[in-house]
Amino acid sequence: MKTEAQIEIAAANPLSREAVGVEGLTFTYHGGERPALFDVSFSQAHGEMIGVMGASGAGKSTLAKCLNRIIPEFEDGDFRGVVRIGGAPLADLRIHDVAPMVGMVFQDFEAQLFSTNVAHEVAFAMEQVGMGRDEMNARIAPALDAVGLHGFEHRDPTSLSGGEKQRLAIASVLALRPSVIVLDEPTTDLDPEGKAEVFELIQKLRAQGLSLVVIEHESVELRASDRVIILREGAIIAEGTPAKVMTGLDLLEECGVHPPDLNRVFQMLGIGGHATSIDHAYLEIVTRFPALLSVRAENLVPASARHDSTVSVADAAPSCQSSLPPPGRSLSHPLVAIENLSFAYPNGPRVLEGVNLAIGEGDFLAIVGQNGSGKTTLAKHIVGLLKPASGRVLLGGRDRAGMRAAQTAREAAYVFQNPDHQIFAPSVEEEVSFGPRNFGLAKDDIERRCDEVLRSVGLENQRQSDPFLLSKGERQRLAVASVLTLRPRLLILDEPTTGFDYREIRTMMALISELNRSGIAIVMITHTPWLVAEYARRVVLMRRGRKLFDGAVREFFADTELLRTSSFRPPEATELGQRFGTLALTPAELVAWIKERA
Amino acid sequence: MRTNLYLDRNTFVHRLHPTVKVFALFAMFWSVYWVDYPPALVPLGIFMLCVAQLTGAWPNFYLFRWLFMLTVFTTTLTWMISFRGGAPIVSIPFFHVSRASIEYGLGRGMKLAELIAASVLFLSTTKVEELTIGLRRLGVPYRACFAISLAFRLVPLFVDSALTIVDAQTLRGYDFSKGGFFERIKRYVPVMVPVFMGALRKANNMAMALEARAFGRTSEPTTYIDYPVLGSDVVAFATLLAVGTLYFLIYYTGRGAISLK
Repeated sequence: MKTEAQIEIAAANPLSREAVGVEGLTFTYHGGERPALFDVSFSQAHGEMIGVMGASGAGKSTLAKCLNRIIPEFEDGDFRGVVRIGGAPLADLRIHDVAPMVGMVFQDFEAQLFSTNVAHEVAFAMEQVGMGRDEMNARIAPALDAVGLHGFEHRDPTSLSGGEKQRLAIASVLALRPSVIVLDEPTTDLDPEGKAEVFELIQKLRAQGLSLVVIEHESVELRASDRVIILREGAIIAEGTPAKVMTGLDLLEECGVHPPDLNRVFQMLGIGGHATSIDHAYLEIVTRFPALLSVRAENLVPASARHDSTVSVADAAPSCQSSLPPPGRSLSHPLVAIENLSFAYPNGPRVLEGVNLAIGEGDFLAIVGQNGSGKTTLAKHIVGLLKPASGRVLLGGRDRAGMRAAQTAREAAYVFQNPDHQIFAPSVEEEVSFGPRNFGLAKDDIERRCDEVLRSVGLENQRQSDPFLLSKGERQRLAVASVLTLRPRLLILDEPTTGFDYREIRTMMALISELNRSGIAIVMITHTPWLVAEYARRVVLMRRGRKLFDGAVREFFADTELLRTSSFRPPEATELGQRFGTLALTPAELVAWIKERA
Repeated sequence: MRTNLYLDRNTFVHRLHPTVKVFALFAMFWSVYWVDYPPALVPLGIFMLCVAQLTGAWPNFYLFRWLFMLTVFTTTLTWMISFRGGAPIVSIPFFHVSRASIEYGLGRGMKLAELIAASVLFLSTTKVEELTIGLRRLGVPYRACFAISLAFRLVPLFVDSALTIVDAQTLRGYDFSKGGFFERIKRYVPVMVPVFMGALRKANNMAMALEARAFGRTSEPTTYIDYPVLGSDVVAFATLLAVGTLYFLIYYTGRGAISLK
């Protein structure tokens, strides 16, 4: 009997020292104007973990698909170069022949689960290779153990959380005992808890000697890799250890990668180098600025008090408050007033329970919480897509119960997580004018509004473009534009940056902030802590249908116990600040605080 | 959301061999097909109600209650007033009601209800994997079996996506209930385009994920679950065969038809 969570790995080819070898790989999609990958070469040793980063469209997923022959077998195009697994070239092999050697986990976890229970799901690939029943039974338990899903054998995969589904997808490829696993943005659609689960598992698999290729936007998650590769326009432009690659902060930003907060702090303090962890960053900073140790002692919150009181940390906030956005305006006449709202889907448990919430004119509110905590359900009540089981929702002082969903469009607009749920028109212009046309506005007025809105979202030069040919970031901005033409006073955005690279996130958030400055109240549902820290003024934390916290962003991030119990990890700059006994929401704030005291 | 109707219970019906379950569905459709006379359909209806009780399938019947009510009610009413046979009880222009038309309308409504009920019972007691195995044992190629079972899984996903899209367009002031029948169908274009695009994308992702899990490596994949043929399967098969034969005999002897006298 193997130790818990120990998995079997395909024996490495004794004649080859490499797990993966890529030489001169160039691929151009059918009809593509330029290669999606250009002359990519690298070699991965057995047991090595390689992180691949880059902007959307840089060629990361294309590279992943080349490693198991999805390209060129499934996707048509011009393929040149060599891919080797365990020293043997893959040329002429079919995808299903490569599957036992290279396991692939995709971003869309819904699309890679095919069975009605967990054990069946793990067995699926083994059935496809014609494995005997005894062997299948012998492999299912270790695979589920390895991903922490022991005891879930009879569960319906659709009833699992996002993180569990993705872990199940990993178990189902582990069962074939491949020597290499490729994970293509495996946590993009997950909440912070699911994300943490998957990355914990990745580290465990790595410790057990699996060769891993992990594609990711967030550099922090790949800090523990052996090697990092940065792709830009299909070519490798940087390669090396995280210490080497992750200190090139400008390059990372240029390539659409979020640079690690800790390295940003180092750079701003003139320390240089790469921080491997918060502990390491703390030690490095206090070594360089010993005066901080005495400040630390003054600000230190006693461990006994840390769980009950957050005031000390919040009070010790940096002095750069003037750069922060102003607090929310008066809520004496709120734009939205939610009173004692409860809701349950037919035959389901309560999704919302006694929620009270007021949203003022010009507010910028972030709603956070785990998947299934009721965030989207709450937002849908504001625009009237759902009717309360009890309680009421007032919009502009009027009870929503007496209004149809379409009637609220000019008061409150809703942008769905997936822009493709909204877009249907053959051109950008027609898409944007759809809303005003439904309300029978005059042609001149519609044109004026379209001009104004397309300019504000930066799509004024794409009026006649086909929306389906735009990038995902552009499609999301188009989705925002298409509701802005109705000039709503409140804009609700459901995870508006999911799947975006760092540059796209910044562009999207700059747009949202600008809209907020123009007087539109913003409600943003998000899983991304640094977006909350940098952009929102107020946070509502939902848990199991209840509102657990409603207050200023600083108060929220100062409550370490609340964050811990909610599996909501603050940005690293905030965590590092807390080690010094201060509260900083961004690297710049923390550096300002350090410089003032050092 | 739930992506299939299967209800995980450990009942006699759930434990039946997949091939017997597929045959049961066929036997129910076969039996319903041959008879029009409502009293002849009653035993089959009672049989299905008993199976629903035994298998605990009521939640799925509840889920489809509107489909049952709407289709059965409209079918019954439509045939009652449009069937032209038999001595009229009420006869005014465009409106003809006779004993035969009432029986025919009721029969059509019952047939439809029993066809839906048989499908709901089948999906409530059969996993998609069992559907694949059941069809394979009946000689259908594996790829076709898998495609059919996958379709059952995809339909709810597409319905869910379509509902989200309807919400999105409603919030932009679009009124789906405006105009006559054809106008309303036309008004669903803003829904159909994103659903179609989403379906293509989802199908593409699924196909890639399937290939990456070695789908198609062999034309005869093994099965994780062993489905031995038990005595209960033989009894169930024989019973279903008898029911099917009985209903064919009812038809053959003319007792399943509506009398026009």
